[in-house]
Order: sequence, then structure tokens, then C-alpha cells
Amino acid sequence: MDERAFSAGQAFLLSAKLFWTHKLFGAVKDEVRTASPQPKTLADVAKVLSPSTTYAYFEWFERHLQKMKYSGRYGLVPHADGLRRDLLARLDVNSPLVQVDPALPMPDYYTSVDVHQHPGGVWSDELAGFVYEEGARSTTPAMGVKHADLHQRFTDLIVSEGKPKRILDMGCGFGKSTRPFYRDLPEAEVTAVDLAAPCLNVAGVQASQDQARNVRFLQKNAYETGLPAGSFDLVTSTMLLHEMPPEKIEATMAEAARVLAPGGRMVHLDFHMLPDAFARFIHYGHAVRNNEVYMEPWAEMDIAALLRKQGFTDVTIAPFAEADNVPPDAWRFPWTVISATKAA
Amino acid sequence: MTDAPSLGPEQQFFADPALDRMMGVVMAMAQELYVTRDRLRGLETLLAEKGVVSTAALDRAPTEAEARARQDDLKEFVGALLTPLLAQKTSHG
Repeated sequence: MDERAFSAGQAFLLSAKLFWTHKLFGAVKDEVRTASPQPKTLADVAKVLSPSTTYAYFEWFERHLQKMKYSGRYGLVPHADGLRRDLLARLDVNSPLVQVDPALPMPDYYTSVDVHQHPGGVWSDELAGFVYEEGARSTTPAMGVKHADLHQRFTDLIVSEGKPKRILDMGCGFGKSTRPFYRDLPEAEVTAVDLAAPCLNVAGVQASQDQARNVRFLQKNAYETGLPAGSFDLVTSTMLLHEMPPEKIEATMAEAARVLAPGGRMVHLDFHMLPDAFARFIHYGHAVRNNEVYMEPWAEMDIAALLRKQGFTDVTIAPFAEADNVPPDAWRFPWTVISATKAA
Repeated sequence: MTDAPSLGPEQQFFADPALDRMMGVVMAMAQELYVTRDRLRGLETLLAEKGVVSTAALDRAPTEAEARARQDDLKEFVGALLTPLLAQKTSHG
């Protein structure tokens, strides 16, 4: 596949996604806004939208634009496959910043579904980290090229309340969430863990280019890291929890409590607060259409109660603005910050 | 292109699954069209840079002779595109 065709094919999809984000979503929202009586429950919203042709197109485009992004003729996967030798040459499998563990078992919940419709998931092909990195650039199309800003904004939020010295980033993926921490806090030691070796290897490439000396990427399970107890001031994650079944989320929170020092903070950025039945309906539909089967059970969890039960204090659940000017009527994720403190 | 292994049927959003499938064909064609448009624009840019063609000349409205010549081509094009809407057989049986 030539690069110009790939670029044009992907640009077409992104443009169509923007139409979906603003126009199609706006039309669907209007159908619900003008419905009488006003829908109040999930079932009410379903009753309005199930017979709607506009909503059928909204669903179709959400499913298939993502499918075409990864798998179509100009998809990310065939594109990366065509560049396999060159991409593999960019990886430094002996990077001192990355420790992979080929013996680490991959949990069934993780391997049984290709999240984001990424064929083979983010873990099975050694190029998957590159594919995921490229795919994530258009995850939030309304933000355009400023998608990376949300990680910076999240880091800024945490740092505004104090500078941690020992940081654990759980489910770091290809390191986009980790990067603002190791760049902005050169005095801190940053440990980042993920199940996917292909993603960790991409994270290592970026960190090497950044000449980072204060970060290490380890192939580990977030709910069973094996890291020393009480060894972190901050445990964080970004877009991790919604990919896990409830029992693993509970175990991950318990693991965070274990590895945090007394008085340490835990701050997670994820999709959780859904202000009304329409937002909930759209989000749960997105979960099905984007192969993210644990999004709904995660959104239904009483995470505040769980954290208090586990002994955390100062539990807060708050909405998070991913950009300065979020278009009010465009489709967006329900960004939420979940934070808590380990009792001193 | 090799056949991918079947992973099961795709999700359905329209009452008639034919529409789900046809939308896939339409969008694949639309993407191909855009890729071709982009290629053509790139080609024109390169040719203009080399002084082979003038962008202004390419963009001007067709002359009457060109428009007349285009009519036959358009008639054939539109006929081929829309005749299936008439749902008529072209062979006995």
C-alpha cells in the first residue's frame, strides 16, 4: 500500500468520523431532546431510538468506521503489516527501559475480545503497539490533533496537588499516559506496567528518544504487579479500568492500596460518570459496537463504595474536561477522575 | 488479498441486513473515490510544478465542444450506474 493512498484513506475515515461526531450524533440527540414524553430511563431512550433510521446510521457508522480504520483496504493493520520489517527495526528489544516477561500469562478476559476492533488485540502481534499508537490518534476526533493534551491535562491536575516522587502508571499501553510524568517530573521515578509487550516496546522507543532516565516499562498485570508493598506515592491509570471485569477492577484497587505508601494517592482517569439516561444509552451502545464488553459493568459499579470498603479515604469522583473548549453537542467520552488516598 | 478466517457474523443495525451490507460496499467505494481524488490532485500538483499543465486551465469550465463530448460519456456512465434500479433481466431464464 502506498503511503499517499493510506493517508488519504485514513483521512477520509477521520472526516467521516467527524461528521458522525457532530452531525449524526447531533441529529440523534435532537430526536431524544424533542421526544414527548421526555425519556427518563434507559428503556425510554431505547423506545425512542430503536425505530429511528438516523440512529441506525449512527450505530452503523460507529461500528464500521472503526472497523475500516483497522481492517479495511487502507486499514492500520494491513498498512503496518506491509511495513513489518521497517517497523520491527525501529524497536529496541534490548532497551534498558523495558522489561518484558514472555512467561506472563495473558488473562482470558483480555485475550477473548479484540478491544477497539483491533484484530488480534493490542498484545498478540509484535507490531500491535505501533498500530494502537496510530489508531489512538483519532480516538477522540472532536479534539483533532490535541488528543495528546488530555494526558498532559491529567498529569497537570495531579501535579497541581503535589509532586509525587515514586509513580506507578498501571495499564500504560504505549506510554502516552506515562510520558508527561517522566518528562515533567525529572526527579521522580516512574514505573509503568502493562500486559502488552508490543505496546511496552513502543513506549520504550519514545522514552529513549526523549532521553528519559527516570522511567521503566515492565510487562506486568495491574492487579498482581509483584512490586514491593508501600513503594509508591502515586498510583495512576488512564483508560484502563473500563477494559477490566469488575472482579479485576476490585483486585486492581486492592493492589494499588498494597503498593501505595501510607498517605499515598491514587488517581485514575476513565469513563464513568454518565449524567443522564441518554448519555448512558449512547455509552453502552458504544461499548458493544467498539468491542469493549466491560465498559457497562464498570460504569454500573459503585466505585466510591468499593474504595471506602477497601480503606481508602478522600474518595472523589469528578468529571474531567479533556480540552478547553469541548463542543457541547458533539459526541464525547464521559471522562471522569477517580481519586482516593491510602490512609496514613 | 487472502481470505481472512471467519470470526462470525457482523453486528446488524438496520431492519433489513441487506442495507448493513450494502452500506459497507458504498463506504468502501466512497473511500476508494477519495483515495483516487487525492491521487489525482497530487498528480496535478506535480505536473503544475513541472510546468506541464496549468492549474488554472484544469479548473476552468469546459468549452462547449468539451461539454458536448462529455454528454455521450455521461449518458453511458449514468446508464450503467442506474439501470440496475429498473430490475430487468438481460437474459432469458
